[in-house]
Amino acid sequence: MSSISTEAKVGLFVLVALIILGYMSFRVGEKGFGLKKGYPVHVVFDNATGLEKDASVQIAGVEVGRVEDISLKDGKALVTLRIVPNVRLEKDVQAKIKAYGILGDKYVDIVPGTLGEAYIAVGGDIVRTEQQADIDKLLSELGTIAGDVMEVTASLKNSMGGAKGEENIRAIIDNTRAITEDLARIVRQNDAKLNLMVDNLSEASSEMRRTFATLNSIVEKIDSGEGTIGQLVENRDAFDNLNQTLVSLKGITEKINRGEGSIGKLVNDEDTVDNLNSSLKSIGKSMDGIDRYVSKSEQFKTFLSYRGEYLFDSGDGKGYIDLTIRPKEDKFYVLGLVTNPNGRLTVTDTTPAGGATARTETWERDELLFTAQIGKRFKDIALRGGVFESTGGVGVDYFALDDRLQLTFEVFDFGSDRNAHLKTYAEYRFLKHIYLSAGWDDFISNEGGDSPFVGFSIKFEDEDLKYLLGSVPMPN
Amino acid sequence: MNRISAAVDRFGRAVLDNIEEMGRIFILFISVLMWMVRPPLKLRLIFKQMEFVGVKSIFVVVLTGTFTGMVMALQGYYGFRMFNAESLVGSTVALGMTRELGPVLTALMVTARAGSAMAAELGTMRVTEQIDALSVMATNPVKHLIVPRIIAGVIMLPALTIVSDFMGILGGYFVGVPILNINAGAFIKNITKMVDLGDIYNGLIKAAFFGLILSLVGCYKGFNTTGGAEGVGKATTEAVVLASVSILVSDYFLTAIMF
Repeated sequence: MSSISTEAKVGLFVLVALIILGYMSFRVGEKGFGLKKGYPVHVVFDNATGLEKDASVQIAGVEVGRVEDISLKDGKALVTLRIVPNVRLEKDVQAKIKAYGILGDKYVDIVPGTLGEAYIAVGGDIVRTEQQADIDKLLSELGTIAGDVMEVTASLKNSMGGAKGEENIRAIIDNTRAITEDLARIVRQNDAKLNLMVDNLSEASSEMRRTFATLNSIVEKIDSGEGTIGQLVENRDAFDNLNQTLVSLKGITEKINRGEGSIGKLVNDEDTVDNLNSSLKSIGKSMDGIDRYVSKSEQFKTFLSYRGEYLFDSGDGKGYIDLTIRPKEDKFYVLGLVTNPNGRLTVTDTTPAGGATARTETWERDELLFTAQIGKRFKDIALRGGVFESTGGVGVDYFALDDRLQLTFEVFDFGSDRNAHLKTYAEYRFLKHIYLSAGWDDFISNEGGDSPFVGFSIKFEDEDLKYLLGSVPMPN
Repeated sequence: MNRISAAVDRFGRAVLDNIEEMGRIFILFISVLMWMVRPPLKLRLIFKQMEFVGVKSIFVVVLTGTFTGMVMALQGYYGFRMFNAESLVGSTVALGMTRELGPVLTALMVTARAGSAMAAELGTMRVTEQIDALSVMATNPVKHLIVPRIIAGVIMLPALTIVSDFMGILGGYFVGVPILNINAGAFIKNITKMVDLGDIYNGLIKAAFFGLILSLVGCYKGFNTTGGAEGVGKATTEAVVLASVSILVSDYFLTAIMF
């Protein structure tokens, strides 16, 4: 080993070090190889934050150049790109600043243009640019979103948080549990009945099958001339008998015609005919009267109805008992009583001589109010007028779905000191005599009387009243 | 009163001594520069020093470089795993080695190995009056003893740093890819993507400066040794401490200037 001279050792070492340096330099500098050549292209970005000199220029992820220079021009970033000579850019290419991942370096991404379009000249401009959503913008947007979410959660917290909200939620859950328990119980209790029903049904259907079979055999028998009807239909004798009867009947009528016999005389005598005629006329007249009476009492209908309404805002109930008399299809009268828990506010201004005006407000509570209306119906629309809750007013009803649904609008209680009482509601018949209604009472009230309400009504036709009132003469 | 003025006096003397020492080192540096450009250069002496500073330090430099790279990979992995960016471990090791740890650790190792030896050698020659003998023989001791050492230091340190950088990256690769299961392609691609030529070259410039500092301080301390064998030991210690501190302090300023 001592044969190796000092110089050789040092030289060898330095050589090795230089080779390593050369290798590392090559690997590190590899990416920049060949990019120093090429032609310049300019592009103007609104914002070139994070883009640096020598940043990569890529098409579809393949490096085609470098950012040569970034400078300011008219408040925008003028970026000069150096593109390798063998890559040509069409005039409609689009340039954007992108980043490798969220934290990565920025680079210029070029979206290729239309093939066949003219190429950008050396030193030319890329016109189309697109600003990429950068992380700052994203973060600020995220900030606003977070703010919105916070507001929502805050309002949720307000409405649901706290002891009261918790109580409400617990009440809801309790109710739900009670309902499901009830349902379960109902199903359990009626299990046997349901089974019975199904059994009955199946029995009934088998009965029906038997009935049909019997019917079938009867029809077959008739067809083959068995039994009385069968013989009637099939037997020639029966026909002949019928024929004979008709022939003799013919003889009788001919005799009558000729004035033979007492009936013949009666029929052929002129006086008899006159008498008969006049008596028949008078009968006809009285029949007309009966007819009118009968048809009128057929048309005549009376309804009794009760409607209860629950007003949400005041928590009061309002009751209506109405007697509707309908002498004709298109005409009706309504008489009724209304219990009004809300009462009515009466304001009286008294001005003593020389004194200040004193205003007294009196609430008439729990009074009974009256309804007396006359109405006329035109197809689906009925107009009503008269006394509504002891005040004058008019109303209009619209009927739909074969009169199952009724939409009503009423205006009454016109006063100079307050807004008129407006009421609108919809009523729906869901069982034979049972109606459900919902609406808004007094909704332009300036006395705080406005309230949504729900209600139900019972309405039925009273046959006894019909005959009782039917005898009362009615105006035509 | 007397004691306070004595303390102030001691402090002031210490400051003055340090400034004076700095001045003397600088004067030595100037004279080295002057003698360096004055032919003939004693190539044999230079090569001898280069072998001593460079070739004989390879083993220790390879060892420190490799293990530094390995431990950096391990630590970097711990950090990057939190962001699922394990493949960045490679570039972290490479950047750390080329820019900072390669030059500094190499310089510190060579200071401990060769800088101390220079101080001891020259110190011994000084106390045994060999340097005076050289002067008597009309051979300039600066040209004969110090210039070759400084040239060797300035040339060999970058060479050693290259080896250290490479071994560090290699160590990082062997910890990262087979042991920590980082994707090999991503590991190497990130290194070539993130590391610039400038990172390597500036690291080498730093290494050259460190070579100058450690050989200059070693030679100065040895050249100005007084007080026999004890003085030689003291000079050696002082040379290592001063050179190490100077390397670390100047490292900051060099980095601030270059990067």
